[in-house]
Amino acid sequence: MISCPRCQAAQDKIRNEHQGHDAQGDLVWTIYHCNACEFTWRDSEPATSIDYDTREAFFRVDPEKPYPVIMPPAQYK
Amino acid sequence: MTENKKPLSDRAKEVGKRIGSLRDFLEFLEENGQCITWSDDVLPEPDIRNIAVAAGRDSMNGPAVIFNNMAGYPGKKLVIGVHGSFTNLALLLGHPKGTTIKELFYDIISRWGDDKPLLDFIEPDEAPVNENRITENFNLYDLLPLYRINEYDGGFYIGKANVVSRDPTDPDNFGKQNVGIYRIQVQAPGEFTLLSIPAHDMGRHIMAAEKNNVPLKISVMLGNHPAMCMFAATPVGYEESEFAYASQMMGSPLRLTKSGNGMDILADSEIVIEAELMNGVRTFEGPFGEFPGSYSGVRKIPRFKVTAISHRNDPIFENIYIGRGWTEHDTLIGLNTSAPIYAQLKKDFPEVVAVNALYQHGLTGVISVKNRFAGFAKSVAMRALGTPHGTMYLKNLIMVDDDVDPFDLNEVMWALSTRTRADDTIVIPNMPLIPIDPAAEIAGKGHRLIIDATSFMPPDKLGSDSKIVTPPAGPEIDEIAKMIQVLQNGENS
Repeated sequence: MISCPRCQAAQDKIRNEHQGHDAQGDLVWTIYHCNACEFTWRDSEPATSIDYDTREAFFRVDPEKPYPVIMPPAQYK
Repeated sequence: MTENKKPLSDRAKEVGKRIGSLRDFLEFLEENGQCITWSDDVLPEPDIRNIAVAAGRDSMNGPAVIFNNMAGYPGKKLVIGVHGSFTNLALLLGHPKGTTIKELFYDIISRWGDDKPLLDFIEPDEAPVNENRITENFNLYDLLPLYRINEYDGGFYIGKANVVSRDPTDPDNFGKQNVGIYRIQVQAPGEFTLLSIPAHDMGRHIMAAEKNNVPLKISVMLGNHPAMCMFAATPVGYEESEFAYASQMMGSPLRLTKSGNGMDILADSEIVIEAELMNGVRTFEGPFGEFPGSYSGVRKIPRFKVTAISHRNDPIFENIYIGRGWTEHDTLIGLNTSAPIYAQLKKDFPEVVAVNALYQHGLTGVISVKNRFAGFAKSVAMRALGTPHGTMYLKNLIMVDDDVDPFDLNEVMWALSTRTRADDTIVIPNMPLIPIDPAAEIAGKGHRLIIDATSFMPPDKLGSDSKIVTPPAGPEIDEIAKMIQVLQNGENS
């Protein structure tokens, strides 16, 4: 079960984004993207970036909370 | 700034003619021992970050590093550190290795001229950037060897893109076309976010497009002529062209062509991504390790979708390491941050000798000035705070005499040690300040500090009974120092 390393969103929110292969065509890593908090990661990265419990808690994101909006548009889409 | 303008040296002209693209410059750096290829296999994370930081430690002589063996990216090329050292900048400007920062500063000043473009336009089908054209099924993850620059960044960033946009309400105006460096986070195979603020030209363009509900088209140039990157990072007037400035600086024409969506772009860039603003959409972006050495937080920012991609054969992806200094970012923009402040001060105060605003985009600056009368340096400091860049950035200012090289920190520290009185510093509270200063009590506002480390003058009596040792100095001693370097390290030092 994959979940987001940053916001813990469940697997149904996670996009399988891209797979990297070596010159022989063997799979080397996979890039994932979280639709809830827009975090992107590669499964070959060190745990400090991609393991929820190892990451510094300061960098967790709760997508339900309000975050600053840069140049708020007149009409959101 | 035309009064400072001087003709280029023959060597500078020769280099200007030879370098028409990133590829030309990498070859030139390699010939001069300033570009290495890392051909051992690396993982995108953390290896690229580790190597970039290690290569960037030597701000005077660190090399550019080409990666050509990254796991999962067979056949792809990445380069970092192209502007990572002052020696790399010296070579670009036609100087030998061993050129001092102060010499480069005066050279840049002498190149700042009026906005007369030296631009050659070539047909799109003759432009190397159009050797390959993609118009559907975009996949930035496949095109670019992307990686996480700092370990807590929110995703994979393109940190050295030169982004071209036109004022959407005046799209035919060449001068109002802007080229700037904005951080880009890839958000999907064919979509990305781009961070700008209302104070940036791009920010104005985004707000104008959304207000009038018209499309905003941009072209993102990657792997560019090295002069372009230096000038895309320089604040020029809203109606001035960065292309014109960059060509003026090199003293030889830049080759431009038209992108598929109507922007002027460099004909010899490695990759150009054409995109369109998704009006009214804001997406989570960040954190990103920024130039003060701290992360800027998570925000919701404008989003773009890719509409076409052009690239050369075997394109080289150029990126930057940015974070806690010293980094390539500091070398890339330092001299071009210092030069306009100097030029603006010099107009009113010819006694100003040099301005060092290399540190964190000028959060700390050192200004060398010949005191006209007691307290004069403080008046110059106040004027510096009122320059366009000073208004938001110059947080700490150290004023030194004209006999102190503001780029030589040993000399600056000597001035602080011997010419500063603790009760003669000034704090100006509650001034505007860039929001990403990590020391700010309130983001966007902060105190300013002026330390007067110039010598005392009448009517001030303090310190008047000491006499300064005057060791031999000047061009003759500079020349001897260089000869010693050559004796120590050989001709290539």
